[in-house]
Amino acid sequence: MDNETRFSHIFQNMIAIRRFEEEVIGLHDAEEFSGHYHLYIGQEATGSTVMESLGLEDRIFSTHRNHGHLIARGADPSSAMAEILGRSTGLNGGRGGTFHLANPELGMPHTSALVGGAVPLAAGGALAAKIKKTGGIGVSMFGDGCFEEGLVFETLNLARLWHLPVIFICENNTPGAVLKSAGGTNSSNMPSGRVLDTPAALGMEAYEVDGGDAEAVNLLFQDCINRVRANGEPIFIEALTERWPGNYYSFPSLVTGATELTMIWDDSLIDGEHEDWFRTHDPIFRLGRALLANEILTQEEILKIDREATDTMQKAREFALASPLPSTEKIYEYVLAGGEANA
Amino acid sequence: MHSITHAEAIVEAIAECMTEDDNVALVWGSLMGLGSGNKYAKRIQKEFSDRIFHPPISEAAICAIVAGAAMDGVRTLFPMGTASFMFRAWDQIIHEAGAAHYMSNGKVKVPAVFHVVHGLRGGGSVQHSQSPQAMLWNSPGIEIALPSSPADAKGLMRTAIKSDNPTIFIDHQKLNRVRGDVPDEPYDIPFGKADVKREGTDVTIVAASLQVIHSLEAAEILAAEGLEVEIVDLRSLVPLDENTILNSVRKTQRLLVVDECPPRCSLASEVICVVVEKAMDVLKAPPRRVNRLPVHVPANTEMEAFLGPNTNRIVEAIKEICN
Repeated sequence: MDNETRFSHIFQNMIAIRRFEEEVIGLHDAEEFSGHYHLYIGQEATGSTVMESLGLEDRIFSTHRNHGHLIARGADPSSAMAEILGRSTGLNGGRGGTFHLANPELGMPHTSALVGGAVPLAAGGALAAKIKKTGGIGVSMFGDGCFEEGLVFETLNLARLWHLPVIFICENNTPGAVLKSAGGTNSSNMPSGRVLDTPAALGMEAYEVDGGDAEAVNLLFQDCINRVRANGEPIFIEALTERWPGNYYSFPSLVTGATELTMIWDDSLIDGEHEDWFRTHDPIFRLGRALLANEILTQEEILKIDREATDTMQKAREFALASPLPSTEKIYEYVLAGGEANA
Repeated sequence: MHSITHAEAIVEAIAECMTEDDNVALVWGSLMGLGSGNKYAKRIQKEFSDRIFHPPISEAAICAIVAGAAMDGVRTLFPMGTASFMFRAWDQIIHEAGAAHYMSNGKVKVPAVFHVVHGLRGGGSVQHSQSPQAMLWNSPGIEIALPSSPADAKGLMRTAIKSDNPTIFIDHQKLNRVRGDVPDEPYDIPFGKADVKREGTDVTIVAASLQVIHSLEAAEILAAEGLEVEIVDLRSLVPLDENTILNSVRKTQRLLVVDECPPRCSLASEVICVVVEKAMDVLKAPPRRVNRLPVHVPANTEMEAFLGPNTNRIVEAIKEICN
C-alpha cells in the first residue's frame, strides 16, 4: 500500500456511502419516499477508488445505482438525501429522485436510469473533451445488465471508431446473485455471465478486476486513466463485485444489519447466515483489514471515521426531512431553456 | 439573394455556424443527400474536418453521444437521414436530451440538433415514410422546426444550432431539391413565429413543411374560382405561434389544417383544438382537416399518392367549408 492518504480517503468515502445508504433504507422503510430504489452496498470499493482518481475536467455518467458514485465524487450528502426525498433543497431541486442524482458542478451532469443509458452519454462527454481539448475524459459507471441492451454495443464500437477518451466501467454485480433462471431477480442474462469478450471483440483494451478490492481497482484504474489521457483511446474495465445479500430481492433489505465496523478486527462477532459476506466480501471490511495490517489506520481511527460519517448522514437525514417540497407553481420551470415553454 | 436548393440552404447554415462558433460539431452522414462531390459538402469537409465525425449505423448511441457532448456545451448536429430511423433513438432524444434541463432544475442545457427527413417520398413504403412530428410534439423539452422553403430552412437551421435546447429539425424528402432565393447575408429566423405565406380573406389553411406547398397550389386553383385563401406556415411546433393562427382565423372565420401525420393526435387535431378553445365564437363553419390516411404507407405509388394530403383533397375540403 503505497499511498496512505489516498487509501484512507477512499476508505472514508466507502464508509460515508454505507452510512448514507443505511439511512436511505430507513427512510424508505418509514415511507418518506415512494417507489423503487437501488443501493450501492457491496460495490463501494470500485466507485470510491475510481472517483479518487478523476478531476473536475472529467465527465462521469452513472445509473439508477448512483448514490455511491455521487457521494464518492464529493456531492453534499444533505442535498443528495433531500433529492431522494424529492425536496426543493435536493441536488436536482427534487425533480430527479433516487434514480437521477446528478451534480453538474462536479462533472456529473445527468444520470440515466435507462438500462445502458449512461454508456453513450459518457462517450458524449469524451467527445466534448476531445473537441474542446480540455484534457478530460468520459467515464461511464454501469452494471452488467447493460450488456443486454444493443445501445451498449453501438457505443463501444463508436468509441473505437471515433477514438474517444472514455473509460467504460462495468460493475458486474451478478457474482453471488441468485440467477433469474433459478428464480432470483436483477441478475444479467448472458450465456457466460461475463461481459469482457464483447469489448475485446471490438479490439478495445479490456481488463477484469476484483471490484471489491480497492487496492486492485486503484492499481488498474491509475494505469488506465494515464493511458486514456495520453493516447485518447477507450478502455473497458469489468469490476467483479459480489452481490450484497440485501440485493437478492427486488427491493433492498438490510438483511446484514447496520454495518458493525468492529467486525474488521473482532472475528468473534462474525457468524450466522451471512458469515461469508462479512468474512470474505464486504469491501469495507476488506480494505479495513488491509489498512490495519499496513498500520495506515488504527482501530480507534477507523471508529472515529465511522462516528463522523454516521453523524454526517444523520444530519443529512434531518436536513432532508426538514426541507420543503418544491412548490407546484414551479412545475413549468425549465421545460425549455430560455423561458417557459409554449408547449 | 442567391438561388439554391433546400438542402444547400441547410448546409450553408451549418457552414456559417461552424465558422462562427468553434463549439459547433457535426456528425456527418450523407449530409442532406448532397454527396461528397457537392461544392457545399466539400467545403465543410475541408474546413472543419476536426469537428466532423462519420457515423456508423447506430442512431441510438449517436443521439445519446450528441446529447452528452451538448451537455458540455458542444453544439452538435446529427443529420440522421430518414425520419423513421429516429425511432431507434426515441429514448435518447426524449429521455436524455429532452429531459436533462428539466431534471437538473435548469442547470444543464442540451444544445443538440437532430435533423431528419420526413414524409411520403414516392416508394418509401412502410418503414421509410414516417412523419414523426406529432409523436414528438407529445414530448416536453424539445423544440421542433419544420421549414417549407430554402430561405426558411436556412434561417431556422441557424436558430436550431444556436438554441440551448435540443431541437428536432424536420425536412421533407420532396423539398430537398426545391430551389428558392436565399438572402446573401447570414440571418436567423426565430422559432415561434409562423409565417403568412399567402394572404386571403375567406378561409385559413394552417400547414407545415411540404403541405404548405400543396396548400399554395390549392389556393391558386381556388382563387380562380373566387375564393381567397390565407395560408399560415407554422415553421415551428415548439414553440407554437398561437397568435398568428388565431389572428388569421378571426379574420377569415374558417379553418382547414393540412397535415401529413395520420389524423388522431396529429398537428391538425392540436391546431383545431387551440382554435376551438380560444376562438370558437368566430367560426362560421366546423373546422376541417386533411391528413394522411390512418394506414401504413404502401410501396406502390398510386396508393401512396391516394393516401397523402394532396392539392385536390385540399380544394374539395375548402369548398365544403366555404359552402
